[in-house]
Parts: sequence; C-alpha cells; structure tokens
Amino acid sequence: MPKRTDIKKILIIGSGPIVIGQACEFDYSGTQACKALREEGYEVILVNSNPATIMTDPETADRTYVEPITAASVAKVIAKELPDALLPNMGGQTGLNCAVALAEQGVLDKYGVEVIGCDIESIQTGEDRELFAEAMRDIGLEVARSETAHTLEECERAAEDIGYPVVIRPAYTLGGAGGGMAYTHDDLVRIAREGLALSANSEVLIEQSLEGWKEIEMEVMRDSAGNGIVVCSIENLDPMGVHTGDSITVAPCQTLNDFEMQRLRDYSLAVLERVGVACGGSNVQFAVNPTDGRVIVIEMNPRVSRSSALASKATGFPIAKEAALLAVGYTLDEITNDITQATPACFEPSIDYCVVKIPRFAFEKFKGADSTLTTRMKAVGEVMAIGSTFEEALQKAMRSLEQGHAGLGADGNDNFDEEAFEERVATPTPQRILYVAEALRRGWGVERVFEATHIDRWFLNRIADIVTAERTISELGLIGLDHNHMLAAKELGFSDRQLAYLTGTSEEVVRAVREVVGVRPLVKTVDTCAGEFAARTSYHYFTYEDGGATERTEAEKPRVVILSAGPNRIGQGIEFDYCCVHAAYALEAKGYETVMVNCNPETVSTDYDTSDRLYFEPLTFEDVMNVIEVEKPVGVIVTLGGQTPINLAGRLKAAGVPIMGTQPEAIDLAEDRDRFASLLDRLEIAYPPSSTAETMEDATEVARRIGYPLLVRPSYVLGGRGMAIVYDHDDLRTYMAEATRISPDHPVYLDSFLEDAIELDVDALCDGTQCYVGSVLEHIEECGIHSGDSACCWPPFSLSDSIMERVREITRKLALAVDIHGLLNIQFAVKDEQVLVIELNPRASRTVPFSSKATGVPLARCAARIMSGETIAQLGLPPEDRMPSHYAVKEAVMPWSRFPGADVHLGPEMKSTGEVMGIDTTFPKAYAKTREAIDYEIPMSGKVFVSVCDRDKRSIAPVALSLTNLGYDLVATRGTAKTLRAAGIPCEVVRPISEGSPNVLDMMAAGEIAFLINTPRGGSSRGDGAKIRSEAVNRGVDMATTMSGATALIQAIAALRKGPLDVYALQDL
Amino acid sequence: MNLLVDGGRHREALLALEDGTALRGRSVGAEGETFGEIVFNTSMVGYQEIVSDPSYAGQIVTFTYPQLGNYGVNEKDMQADALHLKGFVCHDACYTPSNWQSVVSLPDFLASRGVVGIEGVDTRAVTLAIREGGAMRAAISTTDLDPKSLVRRVRESPHIEEHNYVADVSCKEPHVVRPKGEVHHRVVAVDCGEKAGIARRMAEVGIEVTVVPWDTPAEKIIAMEPDGVFFSNGPGDPDTVPTVPETVRAILGKLPVFGICLGNQMITLAAGARVEKLPYGHHGGNEPVMNLLTGKVEITAQNHNYGPVFSTFGPLVPELSGGLTEHPESLLTWSRMHVAPVAMNERYGRIRLTHVNLNDGTPEGIQFLDLPAFSMQYHPEAKPGPNDSAYMFESFSRLMDGREDYLAIDVREGRRF
Repeated sequence: MPKRTDIKKILIIGSGPIVIGQACEFDYSGTQACKALREEGYEVILVNSNPATIMTDPETADRTYVEPITAASVAKVIAKELPDALLPNMGGQTGLNCAVALAEQGVLDKYGVEVIGCDIESIQTGEDRELFAEAMRDIGLEVARSETAHTLEECERAAEDIGYPVVIRPAYTLGGAGGGMAYTHDDLVRIAREGLALSANSEVLIEQSLEGWKEIEMEVMRDSAGNGIVVCSIENLDPMGVHTGDSITVAPCQTLNDFEMQRLRDYSLAVLERVGVACGGSNVQFAVNPTDGRVIVIEMNPRVSRSSALASKATGFPIAKEAALLAVGYTLDEITNDITQATPACFEPSIDYCVVKIPRFAFEKFKGADSTLTTRMKAVGEVMAIGSTFEEALQKAMRSLEQGHAGLGADGNDNFDEEAFEERVATPTPQRILYVAEALRRGWGVERVFEATHIDRWFLNRIADIVTAERTISELGLIGLDHNHMLAAKELGFSDRQLAYLTGTSEEVVRAVREVVGVRPLVKTVDTCAGEFAARTSYHYFTYEDGGATERTEAEKPRVVILSAGPNRIGQGIEFDYCCVHAAYALEAKGYETVMVNCNPETVSTDYDTSDRLYFEPLTFEDVMNVIEVEKPVGVIVTLGGQTPINLAGRLKAAGVPIMGTQPEAIDLAEDRDRFASLLDRLEIAYPPSSTAETMEDATEVARRIGYPLLVRPSYVLGGRGMAIVYDHDDLRTYMAEATRISPDHPVYLDSFLEDAIELDVDALCDGTQCYVGSVLEHIEECGIHSGDSACCWPPFSLSDSIMERVREITRKLALAVDIHGLLNIQFAVKDEQVLVIELNPRASRTVPFSSKATGVPLARCAARIMSGETIAQLGLPPEDRMPSHYAVKEAVMPWSRFPGADVHLGPEMKSTGEVMGIDTTFPKAYAKTREAIDYEIPMSGKVFVSVCDRDKRSIAPVALSLTNLGYDLVATRGTAKTLRAAGIPCEVVRPISEGSPNVLDMMAAGEIAFLINTPRGGSSRGDGAKIRSEAVNRGVDMATTMSGATALIQAIAALRKGPLDVYALQDL
Repeated sequence: MNLLVDGGRHREALLALEDGTALRGRSVGAEGETFGEIVFNTSMVGYQEIVSDPSYAGQIVTFTYPQLGNYGVNEKDMQADALHLKGFVCHDACYTPSNWQSVVSLPDFLASRGVVGIEGVDTRAVTLAIREGGAMRAAISTTDLDPKSLVRRVRESPHIEEHNYVADVSCKEPHVVRPKGEVHHRVVAVDCGEKAGIARRMAEVGIEVTVVPWDTPAEKIIAMEPDGVFFSNGPGDPDTVPTVPETVRAILGKLPVFGICLGNQMITLAAGARVEKLPYGHHGGNEPVMNLLTGKVEITAQNHNYGPVFSTFGPLVPELSGGLTEHPESLLTWSRMHVAPVAMNERYGRIRLTHVNLNDGTPEGIQFLDLPAFSMQYHPEAKPGPNDSAYMFESFSRLMDGREDYLAIDVREGRRF
C-alpha cells in the first residue's frame, strides 16, 4: 500500500526525561520518526519534556512542545494543533501510557485523532499480565505460570499447581526483600512464611522458576499487509533472572540451532499478530530451557525499545524509521533498504560480525544500595562493541565502559573480594563477568563456573579461551609476539594496554612493536547483508584479519573527527551526544566530511545518518588513534563529548593529532587547580578560599585555615563523583579515608563551602578574540547541591543588572585568558553581592542543550563553526542582555526508586539521571510544569509534613505560612513544630519513628500526606529523615529537600491555583 | 580456534581464488587439498544443514557469519548421510560447542567426513571478492602453502560445468519416507541431490515419498502410479544433467509435478526455456520473495547459482499480464504491480510467474496453467532458514487434489506450529 493521504498532521509523543530503563534510545527513535515522516511530507507535532534531546530541537519537528507528557498537557496540545493521527510507539512506555490515558479520557475521540502504528487494545494486551497470558494460550504458547497467595495454604497449593522449583516474591517490600527460590516443600514453607510476614499486605507471588534458562530476544517488524521480518536476535549472556537491560547481551543469538531459531521466529511473528500490532516494530522475549529446548514467552513490547535501538545499531537496519513509515501505510516491500539503496527493507539483516552490549551502572553513587542484579533494571547506560568474534567484541565492550578496564581484566586493575570470591562469581552484579574470568584464571574450569552461574557453556568456553590466551601471551613475552601471535592476540580483542600489562611493557611499546610486525586493524562495514550487496553508507568498525581487505575510502572533502561521549552515566549523558550531533550537522553544512566515533548504541550520534562516516569504536587512545590513522582528519573535536574526549586530548596532541578548537594546553590550565587559581589571582577574580591535601594531616591544616564547612572532592572528575560537604573534623576524617580509594594519584581539593550562596551556570562561546555569553542560568537550590541535580532558570529571576554585568565580564576575561576556542562553562557563586568563580570547564557543559533551547541560540553548532575558523561576529547572535517573553526552567530527575536503601538527599555529588524543561510566562508556572513533567501530582489540599534541620529553622516560618494560606494543614516533628508555634502557625506534632506508631510513615501509608518538606543536615544519612524520605520515594510522594526548593514548590502551587497552564511551541517563542 | 589457544596444534592452510586472492589460515576439519567453485552463504545459523546439503557438491562454501560450530552438530538436522561439499571456509571454528542436541563438534565432524576446511580467514574479503568477481574456482590446501603455486593450480583446475555432480550425489536405490499419520498422497521424488528436509516436509502434510535415483526412466515412475512427481534440488550446472529434462517432459501433463531448485531448472529446460548462471548466486536464509498471487512477501532460504529466464518461456499473454504486451526489463515491475504475468509457452501453453525475488528481480516460481505443475527456484523446506514458504508442500497436496487456487496460500500458513 502506498502512503496514506488522508492524514496530514501527526502527533509524536516522546519519552520524557532520561530515567533508568528509559533513556536516550527514544531520542534516537523519535528523531528518526520525525525525520522520516517529514520527508514524506507530513506535518509533525512533537511533545517531549526532555530538553537534552535532538528530537526537541526546533528543526526536528514542525511544532515542538517541550511540555509535560501527561494526558492533561498533551490534550492541550491536541486541542491547539488538531492532529489527524497519533504515533504512540516511539516514546517508550511513557508514550504508550500517555496514549492509553488520552484514549481512556476520550480526548482522542473528541478531537478525532486516529492512533497509528498500534492500537490501544494491543497496547493493553501487551501490558496486562492476564490478557497477555490468555492471548499466548490462544496461539498455543506457554507463559511462565504464577499465582498470588495470601496464606501459607494458598502458597502450598500454588506451588503444587505450578510445580517445583518456584520463586516466591513478596509484594510491596523494599527491593524485593524476603523472596527466594524454593526447590522443596520445606523451602517453600520457610520462605513463604517470611515473605507473608514482610509483605505490607500479606501477599506473595508464587512463580514458575526459570532459573538458568536462556533469555532470548527477537526484534520483529510487521507491516499492515501481514509481512513479517525478524531484524535481529539477541541472546543474553546472563541467564533468566537479570533484567535484559542489566544483562550483557550478544547479537546475533549464539547457542541456538536453526530449528530452535526458526521456531522462535515463528513464535515472535505469531505473538505480534495475536497481540494485534498492526504494523511497526516490537520486541518479544523468550526463555529457552537449555536442557530440552522448551520455550516460554516472557513478554512483548508493542513499540520500539532499548533493544530495538540496539538491534538497529547492531544490524544497520533503522527499525524506528521503518516503523514510522509503516505506520503511515507503506508495506515493507515498498521501503528501500537505507544502506544498500537497491534492495527492499523487506528482508532479514544478515550480519558478519558479533555484537556485544554491556550495561553501565552507577552503584557507587548510591551508598547503601544492593548491587545484585535482578529483574528490575538499574543500569544507567550501555556500550556496544563490534568484533569479528564474541571474544573481540566482549573485550572491546569492556574497555568501552570507561571504568578503568582495558578489556576483560588482565590489565593490572583487578581488585577481587577474596573473602566472598565464590559468592561474587555466583551472584549477578556489574562485576560478575570479571569474577567469571578470574575464576577461570584460577582453574575453576568451565563446569564449575557453569554450576555457579548457569551462564551458557559456550560463553564460558570463549572466556576460557581468552584466559588461556592471556597465559600464552605472558609466556611468549613481547619478543614472542611475532606477526602471527600478535595478530592472534588482536583477533581476541586484547588491547595494547592489556598486552603491555601481560608482557610487562608499556602501551606505547606494544603499539610500536605492532607496527613493526605489521599488525594493523582493518576497516569493515556494517551493511545489513554480510557483504552480499554494496553498501552506500559508511558505518564502520575495526577488526583484525590476516591479509584481508580494508574498506576505507578516500576523502573527497576535508575530514573532521568528532569524539563523542561514550556510555551514558550519571554526570555525562545525552547532553554531550546532543552537542556532538550538532557539530556534525554544522560541519557538514560547512563542507567537511564528518567522522563520528562513539560506542553508545542508544544515541543519535551513532545513527549512521547523523555524520558522513561513523566508527562504532571504544573511546580509548588506541581505538581513537586507529580511526585517526585511517581517516587522516584535518581536525579532531574533543570539547563537545564531555570528559571522555577531554581526557584523551593531551595524548592525542602529543601523538601529533590536530585538535580543533580549544587546545589541550588551555584545557590543562582550566583543570589544574593551582594554575587556575593563580590565573584568577592575576585577573583579580574572586573565588572561594581553597587548597589541596594529600593526607589527613594536610587536610586538617587546611580546615583550620579555611574553616568549616568545606566542599571536598578528588581532582579530575565529572558529575561530582566523590564530592561531599564536610561540616566537622569527623566528617573530614571519614571522607579522607574513602577519598584515597577514589583516586590515589590525585590530591583532594578542599574549598570553603559558601552556605546560602546563589549558584549560576554560564555557557559561553569564545573565538579567541571575542566572547559571547550564551546563557546565565540561576540555580534554584543553593550552592552545595551539584549543578546537575539543581533546578535552574533562564533568565535569572533574582539578580541585579550589575551582578549580571559582572558575571559576563568575568566570563569574557576568563575565556580570553584561558584561550578558549569554542564552548566554555563557568560556575559562579553569588553571595552578599560578591561574584565568585567556582570552576571553569573548557568544554561544552551539561546545560548546553537546555541553554540552547531556552535562548534559541544553538550553542553547540556555533561552537563547531568557531572551531572551524568562523568568528563570533560572523554568527549573527542576538544581544546578550535581551529580555525574553518567557522563563525556562530545568529540573533534575532523580532515580531514587531504583535504589532502595540509598539515602534520598541532594548534595555535591550528582545523582540525577535526566532532566525536564518547563516553559511559561513566569518562573513559578514554568517550575510547576517541571514538577508535572517528572510525574509528581501535587495534591491541592491535605497535610504537608514539615521537618527541617536547625540551619533552616529561621527560614521555615514564611514557607509554612504560605502553606497554611494555601489551605494545607501542617504536620511537623517536635523541633520544627516548636519553631512554627513560636511564629503562631498551627501544626500537628508527630512522634519520632523510634517512638512507634502513629508516626509520619503511617500517615504516608494512609495517603494523608500531600508532600514533604524535609531538609537533611549535611551529608548525614542517619536517623528518621532518611527513613521518611525513602518511604516518600516508595509511595511516590513529592518532596522538597532544600528550603529554596520548598519555596519554588510553593510558588508553583500558587501559580497552579490561578488556573490551568497554557502550552507553547518552541517555534513560537 | 585462535592460535594463542590451540598452541599451534592446527596446521597452516592456504585459500587461493582464481582471481589471484590468496589468504592464509589454519586447517579445520580434514587436512589435505581440495578444489571447487567458491560461493558464500549468508545464513547466520544452520551450518549443519548447509554442509550436509548435496547441492553444494563441487563447491567450497564460505560462511559469512564468522563464528561457526557454536551449537555443534546434532543427529536430526542432517540433510544427507554423506557430505558432498568440496570445502569449508570460515573465520573461527568452535571446538567446544554448547547445545543440548549436540553430539559432536563441527570441526571433528568435518574431519571424520574428510572435508577439508580453513579457518582464520577474512571471510568478508572473500565474500566481496566473489561479489565482484562472481563465483569462481578456488582451492584450500594444507600441503601447498605457496600462494603463487596454488593460484596457478586453481586456474588449471576443472570448472564446475565440466562434471555432472547429480550422478555423484543421487541415491543408488529407491527408498520410502512415510508420514507419521495418515497417507493422503503418494509421490515419487526424483533425487538429483535431494535434501532430507524436503521429504520430511512432505511427510508432515501426509505425503508418502518414494525417493528414486535421478536417472530413473519416466515409464518406470509412471508405472508406480503415484499421485504426483517431485523433481528435487541438486548440485552443479543444469546443462550437465542429461535425461532429467526428458523425464520431466514425459511426465508433464500425465501427473501433477512439483520441482524445487534444480528441479525448477529441469522443468524450465523441459519447457524449452533458458537457464542462466547468476553472477554469484543466492546462498542464504534472508532472501525476500513475493508471491505475486497473494502480494505477500516470504523470507526464503536459497541456494543456487543458476536460474530460469522468465521471458524465454514465451511471449506475454497481455490479458493475463496486467495489459503488458512486452516482457519488462525487470521482473520487479510485476512485484510493484502485484500482477502474476503469464507467458505463452509453445510446448505447454500458459505458464505463470508466481514468485519474484525482491532483491534482484530474478524469477523464483512458476506455475503451468494448462497442466498440473509448479516449481520454485528457492527452498520452501528451508533447512536452514525461515519457515515462511513451508506452505508450498500444502500447495503440492492441493495440486494433487485438483484444486485451482493451490498456490494462493497465506505465508503465515507456513509458520503454523
């Protein structure tokens, strides 16, 4: 069928902020969908609250609403834009849920909006456990059996029905505490009794155990004519029990034979049909019993997903783009394969390499959280690597993680927990793969490791091969690595760093020897068809082959290499990918051939459409040099991909690589605290008193000199890792003890902590002679809360013109003095009319996308143009001090609910995973939108629990007064109540938790608490506060943990009282 | 197996191609030397079915998927008892497979059957060389490691067209494959190198198959009074296979006929049409084919270097061909129009093109309208590959029942489980 002409305007819903389980893969899919539909002549309306996305760039859609993804808010967009159709399956579960809500509330019917791609009923069938199980039974497929039980007798009956072993999961307990596996009746009684007791409502789920079964995913597409294809099969290295987002996964499937694979293919297509996916992409997950091949359907997602993004990157087949085209009526045979541009999209990609994905975690940020991997996803990002073999891809992926590994161990960085070694092999955690390799190194043998882990023997044998090779390499030594042996090592994915460690030499020497024996990587192409047809796109990876052919092409235009940001992590996420994508667009427009290097499969930068050439490679010195040696660029951009490329800049320059824009010398100047401090002194710019310390004695001396509180942190970090505020000597001692573990080679910085100062983030451009201050963002939370976790507003709402002028002046002075060519970011503190510089980042910052969207100036694009030689004068930028008609607020999104046990409070160490943006005519309205966008419904009446630390007692009265004026009742702890009563504000007193019920926990359980104001003291995670905040997270109760946050929240509530908020398209601002 | 892992246990080997390409690797399977026509197969799974497919007689198979042998070799997926392929090229062979059905590793299996192979080769480079230079002669050797010498000897080796491989691979004695349940039809299958999967698929739809040697005379077949006759797949150049086209001719019109792959080519030749050699053939499990009668696309398994030229069946019948009077340049015209065109054949009357390959517009299936016969160039039995086209066996059954619309079956029928 050709495309539909009865629809003209299509609404796409994005996935909102980056959260665990829903990350920038939906920016990739949504951006593809927008592009594809606009190319077909449709008008695209987009709603997404996430400003860091490419999809919310004003150029991506025709009308872009950076508004909350709630039914209420999207309904307003529908009323305003009157779209003909809604494409709901590009925005993850958020998009689907919103579409279902819009349908249920009658909005779609009212405005005659047709849902395309998949219908509401199929979404429900896919979602609902019961409906899905029934649908699967209809087509003769097995699902895992489960029953809920409320008594021990019910548990016994359920277990008999299902058959042992069974998994017992108590409902409503923190982090699945109290569950377990029962192999026998005795086990069952023991575990179920405990589970029933622990569960808040005495409910447990008895489930068929699939322990040790293989987990296989199929990425499937179907068109409206009924044609179906499997784009990719993915096998989880970790057997069932670990969420696929937390598993190491491999494509294509490795251990199933043709009969088994084709059976899963048949099942997948039948599942799509039965669930009712009219057209588009879906993901179907199976468990396969490794001992008899029995298959159980786990779940299906009738939408594009993290796995479909991975499958697209793994095969070169753009699932989201094709899904969008199918949704408007095309059939698969009518769409041309992007890569061959000769064959149809109606085929199944064949790949001639192996792909490994490894998730990246952030447990180090959440002290107290259990790092055991379960069926609830906890990874914050992922890497993908391509190699000729699983071994090569695995090792490349390990070093792509940027967690200090040069491969699968064998790099001198191993640090094993000897006491719990066996347990650490058996328990799935982020480090398990290293323990598996180490167990094999220690002679456990594949069988014993298999018994402990149930990881398929095929994977274990491959890892055993790597380990055997390590030994051989050590025995041979560098001298023994002749051409054949060096090549064999590289074929197994060993990095030069690993070879250096194994042979007792340096990475540089290994590289030199490798040159001498003539072992260089070959460029290979991802082409969807294993070489059967010629590829028209340049999507590449490196691998090692004897003889063989390299597929590099001569440059027609000067080439620029852009180094992107690697895996998403807390502190370095999609924002940097955004900047790199913009650079690619800008430089392509300027006549360069752009070459992107990245290893993050979720991103837009790794879409082969974004740049002229894409290398899917780790961002290590060795791998980046491979690209540079092949591509011979006129310049390499290192200042847009966050800290990852910055860390490589010096070595690249030393190797003779031309760096574009800000030079490594300038980067060093800005990052070296002492040199930077002398520069500030010379320029007479104020900064908080600070010093460095290498020992506890040093630190004590500094503390005596500067005074508490102190902001302490290790050097060279991003996202404030290891940062803390210490209020006294004890805090300092604890910190120093831990800090030496974080980075032993670097000293600790101690800054005087400015209490109650206003923090500012400034993003600016500099061309070497002129500086343009792109945005000054005022933080809502005071200094001491990491800028990434703080809400901020543009334009500033509380700063005088003279302060603003001073901020701009300092920015200009510093940018020129450091010699920035491109973007820079400065964090300021304003205290008592004094402007102090906290730090300067000689690179694009996390706030660049937000600043660009708020101000309408595409800063990253401008930076790329400056780096290629243009001047600021040539960019035609608007005046710095203009007064806009709107306020834009950015608010951070926290992952608390994923880390039960971790303390819920903001501090100098960044913990947020994403951000939302709200735009409106006033600051309170814009802020209210950010709360709505994060999915906090703010009850308009009820009780507000107030408990503040001593520091905040003086400022709580006006806040409390506003709350009572807004009609809320107050509940307070004894200390806070005393302050409130003194101010004449009535409040109810609750007893401390330790004194038993009823306390605030019970009130939350009863749904009486509208929201909380709870400010913890310093970095303490002790006492009632932590319990209360953690319970609030559990129950989805909104809270303010700083006074400034509380004030903003109350302003927002007041604004909401005045009536519903309007929605605004970026294109109208 | 990697050199650092096997400790140099495996001998060096050399792969040489007619175009001068020579790649070093290590021996896998049997040691020795082998010459043949080199092709590549893009299936990511199904190596066991591929190495045991008699159609590869005379050929050296390069596997584009780099790691082979992961799930070992089992007892139930063999496509023939003996291995007929000439050689085996892969990037990395697995000696420690893992799958509950596996009984032996692929390298050990190949060695026990005397198949010479090479691993450690840049198979993508080989694939691109074949894509550019076409299927060509090649050799694998563990004895002659001199590239110049081996390339020269490849150039002196016989072409695949010089030998009738069908005679080598066909069964010597007839045998019967029975369905588990009720027998609905009895069929004689002329074995030109038949994959076991075909008879198994027939058995699944209630067909009892008597497999007979390739040179069984038509009279003998007719005398067996079957409900239909099947002409199988097989190796080599169809022009080297004598007598089978005559056998087809003697049976067409007398009994319902079905052909697959080489069988399709035999039927084509019987109708006086031409068979051509494709540049590098189709070998894989992901080829999109449209059934022009239903407009549905099936993802098919294919393994052939030769195929019919549809226009040589005869001039178009415009009223049955969407009004077109001349054969269009590309058969993709028909898939775009969703029209199954009909040619007027001198010998057999109206012959319809029923299936087209969407990658390159080659004809994939034909149907005789004036007598009961149809055939496919690809492999509806798959093995390995998707089950989409398994409905063809039901089609054969329906043809024998005398139904007109026997080919208009939804592809989803093939995926019933």
